[in-house]
Amino acid sequence: MSEPLIEASELTKQFGSVQALTGLNFQVMPGEIYGLLGPNGAGKTTTIKVITGLVEPTSGLVKVEGFDPIKNPIEVKSRIGYVAEKPILYESLSSRDFLEFVASIRKIDQNAANRIVTQLADAFDMAKYFDAPIATLSMGMKQKVALIASFIHQPPVLLLDEPLSGLDARSSRIVKDLLSFHTQKGGAVLFSTHIMEVAEHICTRIGIISQGKVIAEGTLDQLKSKTGNKSETLEEVFLKLTNEETEVADKTRLLGEAFFKNEAA
Amino acid sequence: MKLLEAWRLSRLPYKEVVYKSIAEERGRMWWGGFGRGRLGADAQNDLELTKKALRIAKFDKSLVAIFNVLAAVIPFTAQFFGSPILGLTSAISLSLAVTFGFTALYAIQTLSSFVSAESSALLSILPLEQRDFSLVTLFSFIRSVDYMVVGAILSQVILVAYYTASPFAVLVMLVASVINAVLAVAVALWFSRMFTKNLSRGGRSKGSSVLRLVFILMWGSLLMGVSLLISLPWYIVPSLEMTLLSPNQIINVLFCFLHPFSAGITIANIGHPVTAEFTSYIAAVSMVGYVIVAGFAGKWILKTVKRISHGTDIKISRVTAKDYSIKTRNPLFGYVLKDLKISSRNPATAFFFALPVLETVIVSFMIANFEVLRASTLLVSTFMGGIFVLLMPLALLSAEGTGLEYTKTLPLNVNRIITSKTLISTLTYVPVPLVLLVMAFLKPLTSPFTIFIPFIVILAIASASILEIQLFLSSVTTGKIAALIHDLKKLIVGVTTLIIPLAAYALVYLISLSHVFAVLGMGGAAASELALVVHLLRRNKK
Repeated sequence: MSEPLIEASELTKQFGSVQALTGLNFQVMPGEIYGLLGPNGAGKTTTIKVITGLVEPTSGLVKVEGFDPIKNPIEVKSRIGYVAEKPILYESLSSRDFLEFVASIRKIDQNAANRIVTQLADAFDMAKYFDAPIATLSMGMKQKVALIASFIHQPPVLLLDEPLSGLDARSSRIVKDLLSFHTQKGGAVLFSTHIMEVAEHICTRIGIISQGKVIAEGTLDQLKSKTGNKSETLEEVFLKLTNEETEVADKTRLLGEAFFKNEAA
Repeated sequence: MKLLEAWRLSRLPYKEVVYKSIAEERGRMWWGGFGRGRLGADAQNDLELTKKALRIAKFDKSLVAIFNVLAAVIPFTAQFFGSPILGLTSAISLSLAVTFGFTALYAIQTLSSFVSAESSALLSILPLEQRDFSLVTLFSFIRSVDYMVVGAILSQVILVAYYTASPFAVLVMLVASVINAVLAVAVALWFSRMFTKNLSRGGRSKGSSVLRLVFILMWGSLLMGVSLLISLPWYIVPSLEMTLLSPNQIINVLFCFLHPFSAGITIANIGHPVTAEFTSYIAAVSMVGYVIVAGFAGKWILKTVKRISHGTDIKISRVTAKDYSIKTRNPLFGYVLKDLKISSRNPATAFFFALPVLETVIVSFMIANFEVLRASTLLVSTFMGGIFVLLMPLALLSAEGTGLEYTKTLPLNVNRIITSKTLISTLTYVPVPLVLLVMAFLKPLTSPFTIFIPFIVILAIASASILEIQLFLSSVTTGKIAALIHDLKKLIVGVTTLIIPLAAYALVYLISLSHVFAVLGMGGAAASELALVVHLLRRNKK
């Protein structure tokens, strides 16, 4: 059996008095798109930042292709492509300047870099924006630049934090297909989202994260079987597993009552 | 809407502007600056970041205001610094010139965010009338420069009252100070718009890059030149006074036409007539002309601020790319190029690229009066040139801004970041030894070996830059005082690293009385320093 490309074991992370991760465990195997699903503040972004080496865990173990991000940062960073939740790039650079910078740091062969950038920029229809400063681009355009930068070195591991936010339907479709090609070639994707439909359609396995730990994991069918109702949507499964179903129903009912009461008044 | 209410409401967009201008330099908050924490921990705490940014802004604003007041006052105190005369004409002119430079220099730091950051977008969703909306935006604009402008005007008016005891002179000084501030803010706003426009346009035109470079050099040289004036009032005041009051009619008339000299001559003449009646009339008429120009500038500022509040000031025009080809480079060169691009496109840091011009001017200025190039002259002039270079690493680190978070995800050792910035800082110093080499052909040296002094200093500059950047990267501070001590530490470490080889030269010379040994001693000290810091750098595995 092949080795996992991403491995997190008993991960914890404390920010002051806030416990962001509380013993998180999961593995992503080659060929998998692993969806990290959770409510806001559940620890999805922290998990991804720990794997990139941006945030040092308080305890626990992380490995990317067998390398520890803190002990072997260069090895890990050479093997990952990362898209942040909010694309933070050098705003005064143009997309071309930025991609030249990334390709140079990653020591990519000129022809290979040109080929992949041309293919992706063309697919994302970026001609009008390629030489414009990143500061002037829309959120979706910035996301496309970050996505191209994450694919430029064709890494085995992609860490994507809400990669589809701000993207139009055409670009979302392209990204989903790209992820599929990537896993077909044996790559792994760790994909964070809170949009259930996205996770339902593209993830091979889903890890539901709540209060800093994975509370349920498996394929969509495996998760459905945990709630005992195979006809449920992922949203329903998610709310049940995170024990929010009753609370959400109560809040919605109260909101509805208040809304119509205000209107009547 | 009442003015007071508009003033109160203007705090909101003003805070947004200062936050954006500082948040873009997030490196400063992570690497020392104010408040605790480093990348990662802080990134999780936006509230702490916001507080930190506003704290920095308030502190910066007060500090700059105090500095501006000092800049306004010092030319009036030239006599205390050894000037043989009290030159009121030159003191007023110099005070106005220096405050003009500082006001413009500071204003450009915040106005770039004001022009580009959709600062008023926050208010646009509120049910405000367009007139009130513009008023609030105008007030938020005024808030950016209020302390320093009011401080400079008050100090100039009080000093003129003290020296002339003439109410009319005080009134004219008030007018001169106000037009000086209006013109400075107009220049800063114009320049910020130019920068933002140039950036928004995008494209790969070589022409626009060259144009930007020319702007940077002009702007940087002008502002740094102005700030240099303050350090030499005892030298400048007497010679400027002699020039302004010289019997040479042509030079006199030329100065009468120029702001702020026209104001200086007019006000000084109100107290005690110091120039010919003819020139004082020209200066007065010229000053009236500048009042009209300031009026137009003020109107232009109001119009521009209004356009900004409507969101119609800067139009983005897209240039369609002909191809998607990119050029890959060696990683270090790639990083250097990125550093050069981002810092030259940031108006707050771009003027540092005028350093080579300024250093060259300082060094040439310092040695121009000497018949022979003595070792001591070379030591002092290279040291002065080097001091300015120590500002460069800070500018380059600030320019990294939020993009650094992305860079940290790339397979990049921190040493590459340090090396890149050290290379740029050191390169900005290179014109100094070259100028001195040229000077050595024009003026005799006490010993031919002394010409190696400025070249050896290149090594010390590199060591100082490495140490400064390393200190920045490792500093974690817990409060304002601690941060100030940290900033001082960086500066002291940099200056000490620069001084050690120069001290080694002096010491060896005093012992051996030989310039050859002294140069060798200096070279040895500089090389040892560099070897030590490179060794420390190599130990850095992160």
